[in-house]
Amino acid sequence: MNSSGEHDDISRRSFLLSGSGLFTSLWVASHWPSIAAAAHHAQQVSTNTAPAHFGFFTAADGADVEAVCAQIIPSGATPGAREAHAVYFIDRSLSTYFSAMAPGYRQGLADFQAKFRESHAGATFAAASPADQTAFLKSADRTAFFGTTRVLTVLGMFTSPKYGGNFQGSGWKLMGFVDQHAFAPPFGYYDAEYKGFVPYLNEKQA
Amino acid sequence: MTGRTFKPDEMVDFVVVGSGAAGGVVARELSQAGFTVLVFEQGPRLEAADFEHDELKYFFLHGITNSPALSPQTFRKLPTETAQQAAGGFLPATYARLVGGSSTHYTANFWRFHEIDFHERSVLGSISGTGFADWPITYQELEPYYTKVEWEVGVSGLAYASPFDPPRSKPYPMPPLPVKSSGVLLERGARKLGLHPFPAPMAIASQAYRGRGPCVHCGFCMGFGCEARAKSSSLYTSIPEAEATGLCEIRPASYVYHVDTNAQGRTTGVHYFDGDKRSHFQPAKAVVLSANGAETTRLLLNSTSNRFPQGLANSSGMVGKHLMFNQGSAVQGIFEHELNEYKSVQVTRILHDFYDSDPKRGFYGGGGIDARINPQPALWAMDSGGDLPLWGADFKRRLEGFPRAMASTGHCTSLPMEANSISIDPTLKDAWGIPAIRVTYKDHPDDLATAKFLQDRSYEILQAAGAQTIWRNEIAENDFGVHLLGTARMGNDPKSSVVDKYHRTHDVPNLFLVDGSSFVTSGRGQPTMTIQALAFRAADHIGQFAKRNEI
Repeated sequence: MNSSGEHDDISRRSFLLSGSGLFTSLWVASHWPSIAAAAHHAQQVSTNTAPAHFGFFTAADGADVEAVCAQIIPSGATPGAREAHAVYFIDRSLSTYFSAMAPGYRQGLADFQAKFRESHAGATFAAASPADQTAFLKSADRTAFFGTTRVLTVLGMFTSPKYGGNFQGSGWKLMGFVDQHAFAPPFGYYDAEYKGFVPYLNEKQA
Repeated sequence: MTGRTFKPDEMVDFVVVGSGAAGGVVARELSQAGFTVLVFEQGPRLEAADFEHDELKYFFLHGITNSPALSPQTFRKLPTETAQQAAGGFLPATYARLVGGSSTHYTANFWRFHEIDFHERSVLGSISGTGFADWPITYQELEPYYTKVEWEVGVSGLAYASPFDPPRSKPYPMPPLPVKSSGVLLERGARKLGLHPFPAPMAIASQAYRGRGPCVHCGFCMGFGCEARAKSSSLYTSIPEAEATGLCEIRPASYVYHVDTNAQGRTTGVHYFDGDKRSHFQPAKAVVLSANGAETTRLLLNSTSNRFPQGLANSSGMVGKHLMFNQGSAVQGIFEHELNEYKSVQVTRILHDFYDSDPKRGFYGGGGIDARINPQPALWAMDSGGDLPLWGADFKRRLEGFPRAMASTGHCTSLPMEANSISIDPTLKDAWGIPAIRVTYKDHPDDLATAKFLQDRSYEILQAAGAQTIWRNEIAENDFGVHLLGTARMGNDPKSSVVDKYHRTHDVPNLFLVDGSSFVTSGRGQPTMTIQALAFRAADHIGQFAKRNEI
């Protein structure tokens, strides 16, 4: 049993999730999980191929953000955020439906880059070794910039490919999610072996 | 689209504001009784073919819910604070804004309230600092209308399966939906602990019903419109049935912003904006507000006049007060084998062993526990409960556990408190220039204690079911709600309530309020079943009043 019990470091986790307040109330629980987001209608970008260039980021900024995405969901035996084109999702979202958070995000990115350069002799995050990147992020994963990038990476990896990420459904494949319009029971292992509901007989109402 | 189209300025018997769970039922019942009915809906009219499996749009971009760009709101915890708009425009009172209202995107959990819900104050006594009160009606008075919801709207379930179920006059019209692995595991764990899990009653067709096909188990219920027309939303049930009478028009993209009254203190109709923001007056012999506990309230408070300076139907000062969101809890678990909880309806097993309040616990409250998951992948991936890794190879490994995951959630009471409220923000206006909603809300400590109590029970159940990993989600103070209850409470005393037991406002004889605002107490979550039972009952009485010329 690897249960977490009472000792969660909730404030830290809340902070990680809350970003800079751009995504407030990311409390995903019981009733109907409503998620805060920028207030703009989706401009649905329908494509399944990687775009040739960024619209919001410069090439250098895009490379740094992509490297952060790739640390959040690394590549490996299965595709990670890089192969899912999460950075292109982020690029498009910040220039369209999440544009309200764009100035704050750009500032956060600039601060992140400056801090990295300071401690790495002027090198860019994208050009650093994976080990250096990981070490640096351990000290930076409480920043608003990282929290927001994490949320955007998850959205870019696991929402519909029509928004520019989740390339060829790679995020869904990773999670074992099948987007299909109909399923039939049994849905999983445990309901396949279910013997039927046994009524409560001869029991008094409590 | 069938139905009637009324001429401009044509007098109608009833204007109904809102086409959701309550408005749809009221429109159906009154038009079937022979009255002309014009239903105003601020949102668009969409059909099954318009709905999409699109998590980003529906959960993050306000696809079918109220939008902060058009209809901003402010929030504060206490009346002493200045309310602020949340960053990103987050809306504390969230509802679906389209024909069918929130019945279009609800999860469709449809348990009945129990007998105790209606007279709990008499049994337990008062609770200081709260407006805890009995309802002016009993479960027995509402029972025939619960049955009506099950048969007329369409609910799947297994009667008498729970030893805690209240009495019923008829079984369900459809058998329960097929059990999912989460339901099997909840049942396994709960039975080991001596509890009584049972098939969840759901307003989703498990077999062909009244011209609608059965659920195809696509998994996009909570927060989405049903693409198979299997979910018993007003959009697919009461609305087309009302239109079929030839006496009812549903007018979408029409936003009612003022209820008009005359010198005699009677309502004469409503003012609304059409889709081009042009203002019109619609005359009516009587008006029914079914706009939900937030918007019904705002409409009343914004409908001031010389005769009603503090808002319409508000001589008690109770309009907007006693807002109740329902508290809740969640525990997540990972099992050895695949569950694939993203398939099919969200809930197939629940239990009511902890429904009643028990003084031995040391706090007021009770609730139901169910088995489910956040079925869409991005929502599930964002979970940060427990010690979950949030990035890196460990995070990626966690994500691969999605098919083996489930949750058990608790749904519980919120005490009615006067300070928790919907009011009018002093400065903020919506895109039409109409003063906006301000939400004031802070949970009673007993509500949080109840949520924690249910979370502990869920934890034990998942343990007993053999979960390999379990974690808790934080129980936080509510800063938003989708259950918008109690803001125009029902009562016999005009000094302490807004509507009488027939949903007629104490102050305006031809104005009725029929939605979650009428609730006196919160139940244990899952309010739509009771909202619709109340709507059937209210429409029954309103129709009789009208026929006897008593409106």
